[in-house]
Amino acid sequence: MKKFFRKILKPFRALSIDRHTVLLLLIFVIVMVFFTAVNKDKGFLSIRSVTSMGVQLSEIGILAIAMMVTVLIGGINLSINATANLGVVLAGFFLFKVFPPEATSGTAIFTQISMPDQYSPWVLVVALLIPIMVGVISGMLNGYLVGYIGVPPILATLATLSVFTGISAGLTKGRTITGFPQEYTYVANESLLGIPMPFLIFVVLTIVTYIILNHTTLGFKMRMVGTNETASEFSGINNKTVIMKTYILSGMLSAIAGIIIMSRTMSAAYEYGSTTYVLLTILIGVLAGVHHGFGNVVNIFIAMLILQGLSTGFQMLLQTVRGSTFFKDFSWGVLLIIIFVINYFVRKKRTFVKQD
Amino acid sequence: MFKRILKSNEFLILIIIIALSLVVGSINPNFFTIASLFDLIRASNVYIILAFALLPVVILGGVDISFVAIAAVSSYGTHMFLIGRGYEGGLLLYFIIGCTIGALAGLLNGLIITKFKLEVFDVSLATQTMWYGFTLFFIGATSNFDMPEGVVGYYSAFIAKVTDENLGVTGLHVSTIYVIVIGIFLWWFLKYTMIGRGIYAIGGNRDVAERTGFRINKITMIVFLIMGLLSGFAGVVQSALSRNFNPTLFIGQNLDVLASVILGGAAIKGGKGTVIGTVLGVILTQIIRRALVLTQIPAEWQKFVVGVILIVFTAIPAIRELRRKKLGRTTNLVEATEEA
Amino acid sequence: MEEELLRVEGILKRFGGVTALDDVSFSIGKGESVTLVGENGSGKSTMIKIISGIYTPDQGEIIINGKHFSKMTPIQSIQEGVQVIYQDFSLFPNLTVAENIALNDLIISGAKTVNWREVRDFAREGLDKINVDIPLNVNVGELSTADRQLIAVSKAILAEAKLIIMDEPTTALTRNEVKALFKVIKDLNSQGISTIFVSHKLSEVREIGERTIILRNGKKITDQDAKELDIATIEYQMTGRHIDTSSIKYSKPKEEVLFKVENLNLSHGFFDVSFELHRNEVLGITGLLGSGRTELALSLFGQKPAESGTIILENKEIKINSIFDATSNRIGFVPEDRIKEGLFLPQTITNNIAAKIIDTLRNKLGLLDQKKKVRLGDEWIDRLDIKTPNGQLPASSLSGGNQQRLVLAKWLAFDPKILILNGPTVGVDVGSKAAIHELIRQLAADGMGIILMSDDIPELMHTCNRILLMRRGRIVNEFLRESTDEEDLNKELIADDDNGTSKRQVEHV
Repeated sequence: MKKFFRKILKPFRALSIDRHTVLLLLIFVIVMVFFTAVNKDKGFLSIRSVTSMGVQLSEIGILAIAMMVTVLIGGINLSINATANLGVVLAGFFLFKVFPPEATSGTAIFTQISMPDQYSPWVLVVALLIPIMVGVISGMLNGYLVGYIGVPPILATLATLSVFTGISAGLTKGRTITGFPQEYTYVANESLLGIPMPFLIFVVLTIVTYIILNHTTLGFKMRMVGTNETASEFSGINNKTVIMKTYILSGMLSAIAGIIIMSRTMSAAYEYGSTTYVLLTILIGVLAGVHHGFGNVVNIFIAMLILQGLSTGFQMLLQTVRGSTFFKDFSWGVLLIIIFVINYFVRKKRTFVKQD
Repeated sequence: MFKRILKSNEFLILIIIIALSLVVGSINPNFFTIASLFDLIRASNVYIILAFALLPVVILGGVDISFVAIAAVSSYGTHMFLIGRGYEGGLLLYFIIGCTIGALAGLLNGLIITKFKLEVFDVSLATQTMWYGFTLFFIGATSNFDMPEGVVGYYSAFIAKVTDENLGVTGLHVSTIYVIVIGIFLWWFLKYTMIGRGIYAIGGNRDVAERTGFRINKITMIVFLIMGLLSGFAGVVQSALSRNFNPTLFIGQNLDVLASVILGGAAIKGGKGTVIGTVLGVILTQIIRRALVLTQIPAEWQKFVVGVILIVFTAIPAIRELRRKKLGRTTNLVEATEEA
Repeated sequence: MEEELLRVEGILKRFGGVTALDDVSFSIGKGESVTLVGENGSGKSTMIKIISGIYTPDQGEIIINGKHFSKMTPIQSIQEGVQVIYQDFSLFPNLTVAENIALNDLIISGAKTVNWREVRDFAREGLDKINVDIPLNVNVGELSTADRQLIAVSKAILAEAKLIIMDEPTTALTRNEVKALFKVIKDLNSQGISTIFVSHKLSEVREIGERTIILRNGKKITDQDAKELDIATIEYQMTGRHIDTSSIKYSKPKEEVLFKVENLNLSHGFFDVSFELHRNEVLGITGLLGSGRTELALSLFGQKPAESGTIILENKEIKINSIFDATSNRIGFVPEDRIKEGLFLPQTITNNIAAKIIDTLRNKLGLLDQKKKVRLGDEWIDRLDIKTPNGQLPASSLSGGNQQRLVLAKWLAFDPKILILNGPTVGVDVGSKAAIHELIRQLAADGMGIILMSDDIPELMHTCNRILLMRRGRIVNEFLRESTDEEDLNKELIADDDNGTSKRQVEHV
């Protein structure tokens, strides 16, 4: 039996698919089969349903990758969502300053951007570069605190979460910014060959991260740092720069997710998704089996599909029941506990050789 | 002894609080009114109880994020159950049921953590998601404003009343007594009971604690029992104060509470943390908010200021550690002979 | 024999596939002082953990105070009067001295609450008993190791122990402190308290123990009166071999100086260190724990850069202020603690081997060349004879000896000019040990300069051309292997080192 599995797994080694991937795929298949069966006449796997899932998945998926890379190196990044929001708030602030509202200009509150009829396309590009810069700076700040000063990651990023959210909230006075140029809606609403644009961006970023993690020396070093920071230092790996680069990558990914959210909602708010997104991305990571030194984006992808499957599936199944949208949270929590228990027994079976 | 107090984290926060108060007070004298103080206390009370719930977990060396969801399920669950039965009595029954639900939910965390040898954070992530989902789906998804007769007046249950030209009629809320009673109990528990000392011991060095004979699983269970119980209590108090029982109570505020506990001097790696420090940590975050308002800076900047202070507070010990490592004080023999 | 206090009967303990203890039995009388001797990996630590209830034996039983236990909890063990002083002293850094001393007693007495006045009185009494004065309100984390040891001892004495087990208690102590400790132990024995003294320092074994028990590879080899044993016999029984260096082919150093340090200093570490390393030479640096040898090793590797002095590599002065500096000068380092500092345990063997030279494993696109990496892994698994079915298994699946070869492979793949080895065979089985020694000699013969830090005398004798002795942060003596023997070296290593104190202290101030 074991041999059989090893044989099946062998060709997938290159994709760094592991035991956990098999478990996730198994759960995914069970979830899909179950809901297709019970939601027969509701079109659980219809094209429309699948594409709408794709759009919803993308922004969270990108944030989940942003979270994952930091967990991989033994850290965590609680500031991903704050970075995403700060980026687009500052982009809005930039547009607001470039095109100040004419009426009551002296006391205008920064909430509604009023784009003129004519403007240079470069303005749009610059406004999108701002979030990316914010992502880089956010990453540098986190990387500095964690890598160079040695603040525990959970505290460092909790502090920057607070700082970034504070800046966004302070600038917008807690209000939502609207009136972003119409061109930005393309990012969220356009599709290529029937695939929604955000999903495409997500897939591209997944592939890019996959290559970084599995096929570059940086990715290799990230795994080593995550596995044993002391040993990697003693192996001549420069931990500080690895940590710095990882948080910058995390910050940039967060910023891109922010742009997608902005173009979908055509607004920017300091607290968008703040209560759910960060924890949801950690949840995805834990479900995907990401832990210090280990984890791959393929698992993240499947984990997301499972969560989305549960969400859509239960929503369809419980359509007539009050509050059906909330059953997903319950099912996610329970699923996570089930996975913990399964992993516990798997771990227990594989006894390690202890030395005296 | 005196030197130790001066060097302590609590003292540092107290200085910051006093300095901040003086600055704000000099800009806006309204800050120094009794009414303003009472208002500050009332706003802090619930968060102090929540911070008390989290403190033992942090000392034990874990980070829990599920206590907010436990507060929500306990308070909202209790309320919907009682309201559905036409209950018109006071809060006592709310507290009894709410704390029981909370304690059981806390024990579930503890059970999963000890039984399957898991990280506190991971488990609490699962249970927080589960409990909010459970509350919203199985109990109800909308805020409930129906109050039993015995609960209606709770928000203005003052021990001492004052009338202030800016704040109107306000006073020292009765929940202050709970904070004091719980605070004294928790202080006594952490400092004077063997289980309390066990919490510090486990946080300081888990292996040694086990070797010394502390029963780690039992202590962990008790810590989570306390966490759940106090979370349930805080949930009921908050809901009754705001006259609104809400299924998503405190959602997204777990990290803010964690920040207060850390500001109060608790170590994220465990083994360190005090009741007094925790109270000061919460008060500091509340004062910052008030300070901004009273100095005409929009309150929205509060998070920014808290974040900056948090960076400073976490960077200082880290830098100190960095220096110590650089000095290379590892040669024990040399040190030993220096004293000889 | 005196009245029996403790007897272990047919103890068997396995971890996974490894048998740590194999049918071990012995007994200890009241007030008796026994030394338990064995190499690393002989089963000493496992035995202690079984007596103290931390491990449950797979077979056999423990009889203590006439009570039979096949399973014993740590609390039961403590209740029967067993106290262990571990090398880490079992103290809580975040708690005060007073509380650390009193905690044990509070737990045994089953106290529910703490009376802090009593705690302080109790702690003071304990410190008075061994005649030391340490402030009670300070957190233990702020104290020196010597102070911590004293706290651990007074803690055990206060616990009204019937049996005190000390796990290598003298490693961090000065000779005077060791003498004082021995006096305390003899006092305890005369009061009817038994002691088990775990050590691998042969002179101490004879000095303190009435009876000596020797373990080797999990089996009891010897159990007899300490006076009947001489050092050579103990050594033979510990290692299972007589040390015979006549057949070993040592590397022959050249005249050429490969590496040279002059007047290197690191406060709290070492002082005024100067030495030369010739091409093809294995240079041993020995000294007890705390002598500064580990700090010197870390300095040469840039982890704790020296504060002053010069370092010359191949006639060029170099600066080593970081690990990056060291590795760019092709200096490699095999650390002392291979689990914490050397290995990525859950990662694959291949990844462990590639960790240092990963930057060279890129293809034309700048991407990681997976095939090259696997080839590299397989090559080194083969060359160092690392026993594993394949390189894709985690490093944690290997035995101690093979893990050590893995750490070596990581550095050998880097092809360093200088390789610093700090305790390269700690916790390694005898077979692997010999193979690693052979490898070290071979590497030197091939042109690598090797600096070997160790307090394992046979190891030094098996590999080195020259041996420097460090004491209190200074190099105090130099031995040529050909003109010295083990017993001399051993004597020098553990010799009364108080002579150097005054001199060093003056300069230090």
